Formats: sequence, C-alpha cells, structure tokens
Amino acid sequence: MNRAHASWVIYLSLVAALLVMFIPVPLEWRILRPEIAALTLFYWTLALPHRVGVATACTLGLLQDLIEGAPIGLSSPGLMLATLVLLFSYQRVRQYDVAQQSFVMLVLLLLSSGVEQWLRNGIDIPVIPLSGMLALLLSMLCWIPVRSILRHSRRHYEVY
Amino acid sequence: MQRGATDTVAFTAGLVLAPLDAWDRLVAAFESRNALQDEVLRLEQENRVLKGQTQRLASLLSENARYKALLNSARDIEDELVVAQITSLSPDPARHVVILDKGAADGVMEGQPVLGAEGLIGQIVLVGEYNSRAVLITDSAHALPVQVNRSGLRAIAEGSGAIDRLVIRHLAATTDIRVGDLLVTSGLGGRFPHGYPVARVTNVTITPGDAFAMVNAAPSSALDRGRHVLVVARAAQQSDSTNP
Repeated sequence: MNRAHASWVIYLSLVAALLVMFIPVPLEWRILRPEIAALTLFYWTLALPHRVGVATACTLGLLQDLIEGAPIGLSSPGLMLATLVLLFSYQRVRQYDVAQQSFVMLVLLLLSSGVEQWLRNGIDIPVIPLSGMLALLLSMLCWIPVRSILRHSRRHYEVY
Repeated sequence: MQRGATDTVAFTAGLVLAPLDAWDRLVAAFESRNALQDEVLRLEQENRVLKGQTQRLASLLSENARYKALLNSARDIEDELVVAQITSLSPDPARHVVILDKGAADGVMEGQPVLGAEGLIGQIVLVGEYNSRAVLITDSAHALPVQVNRSGLRAIAEGSGAIDRLVIRHLAATTDIRVGDLLVTSGLGGRFPHGYPVARVTNVTITPGDAFAMVNAAPSSALDRGRHVLVVARAAQQSDSTNP
C-alpha cells in the first residue's frame, strides 16, 4: 500500500508536452513535429507503471484529438495499445541503455501511429503521408533529452 | 461541448503564441518612420486605383439587377462579410485546417465560405463562441463544385493535400479546358455562392488512350500567406450542413 507523492509533476509534464503541439511551425514542417506527448507518457509508464497506464494514455489521446480538431478517439487506441505493450515489458526495457530504449520508443510510436493511420483510413480522414515517418525518427532522438529532463524532475520532486 | 473545446484550444494556442505576438509588436514599434511613410504612400496609391476600379461597380450592379428583374430571376443576395484573422494552424500534418478568431458570437456558422484576398480559400467546419475552424480547399478531404469562367464548363475541384494545388479528375479528355483558365465557384450544391474565383489551371495532362484528362490548378489566393480572411456570413444559411 503506497500513497502517491507529488503526482502533480506527472500531469504537469503531460500538459507541458501537449502545449508543445501549439508551437507554431510553417505548414510544411508540421509533419516533422516530434511526438513529445507520447514520449512523456511512455516515460512515466516506464518509471511509474502503477501510476500511469492505459487510462492516462486514453485521456492524453482524447486531449490530443481536441487540440488537433480530429474526431474524438482517433489517437487514443494507438496510445493505449503502445502503453499496454510497455506495461507488459517495462521491467525488461528499464534494463536497456538509453540508445536501446530509444529504439523501443520508435517501435512503440510506430505501433501507435500505425493504429491511428488504420483508423484514419477506416473513417476516411486523410492519412499522414510516408514522410511522417521522419517525425517518428526525430521523436526517437528526442527520447534522450525527454528522458533526462523527466528523470531529473522525478528524482528532484520524489515522485512515486 | 464541442464549442467549449474549440474555444479552449484556441485560447490555449493564444497563450502559447503570446510571447511571439509581443515580439512581433515590439519589432513593428521600432520600424523606421521612412518605411511606414513608404507603406502609407503605397497603400494610398493602391487605394486610388481600387477606388477607380470600383467607381463603375454601383451602376453595374444596379444595371445587372434590372436585367435580372427583366428575366424574372431571383436577385442575388448581397453577402455580408466578417473579417477574421488566422490565429493558428491545426497541428495535424495531414489536414489543412486553420483556426480563426471569430465565432458564433460574430455570426459565423458552419459551412460558411472563407475568402482570401484573391479568392475562395475554404469553409468553416467547427464553430466555437469566439473562435472557429476552417478547412482549406487544398485539404485532401475537401472538394468543391467549380466552373471554368471562360466556357462555363462545370467540374469538381478536389484538394490534393499540397497547399498550392487542386486537382480535377474525371473530365473527358476531349473537354475544352486550357492552361490559364480561371475556375470560379459554380454555386451548385448551395454551399458556396456563385462566382468567387477559386484557382487557375496550371497544367492539363491528356494521356492518349485514357478516358479522362488530368487537370491541376493553383489556388488564386496564396493559402499559406497572409493572416486576414473574410467569412461570408450570409450565403450558407439556406443550405443544410453536409460533411465537407
């Protein structure tokens, strides 16, 4: 029986990651926007699987859809599935070094965006072109700074 | 709930953009007096030219109305225009959706056409109380009925997903359409009023043996430039809302 401590750090970091989506970029460059929100979610799932999981993933996905003006529920299923996979394997992924972990993140992002593309296809919304893969590669590189920032704040505020 | 969400998202975007806006204003404040004087001069000249061009508009409009009365046809409703500003782009890279700073409180409704400086640029899809979302004509889920201004030929111009290109499929290879033709809204479907310029044909590809010509057109208004747009507030009232 352990009580949550400083869990506001988790939610604040998720909100901050969502705010990154608002940063204005030229129209053609939107495709390169890294998935910071998803990475933040994966970090907290990896670090505190008893606090952050499928329900948080679902909420985050809904908020993302609201921000994008996409049909509600477009990005939730993918994020939930990826989080679930991470929940099954977090003990192993924690043992990896950062570089290996970023490849795991790439796989998780591929999984979640794959599900999203499949849904987009199913309900006839324009799918993201293949160049969207670049964003996933960029996100993979972002894992290193995202992880270190969140790790520091987790230790500093003693989040558990 | 949808209204609230549209407003909340636009408000948050405004908060994030506030520092950048402030910087823009600071830069503008220090713009040199000379540059401003030049700008005023240029605008005065442009205004004079435009005034000259519109002098005959009133008489032409009434003349046109008389002819229409003679022909017993309904008089065109004069459109009411709402000036709106583009505050941000939707982050979804597969869509061409912009957020405008006018909403239901200003008379904006779903389905209303949005005009740029040189022609139609899109239509309103989501309305909040003080903000709204408009989908651009180049969005790959958007299509609109157009007419070739020269010949009156009707067609459907589809968005391509590229910001500077519309496509017309399913035009017979023998159709009379040429590079440089102006496409205007045809008014069919009742969504867009008749006669707003949409795009200019940039190339026509006819493959021998194919039944259809492939026509590309460039939007008349640069969709990725400028911040101010006009929402036509009257025209869409009689049409029911169908999915764009």
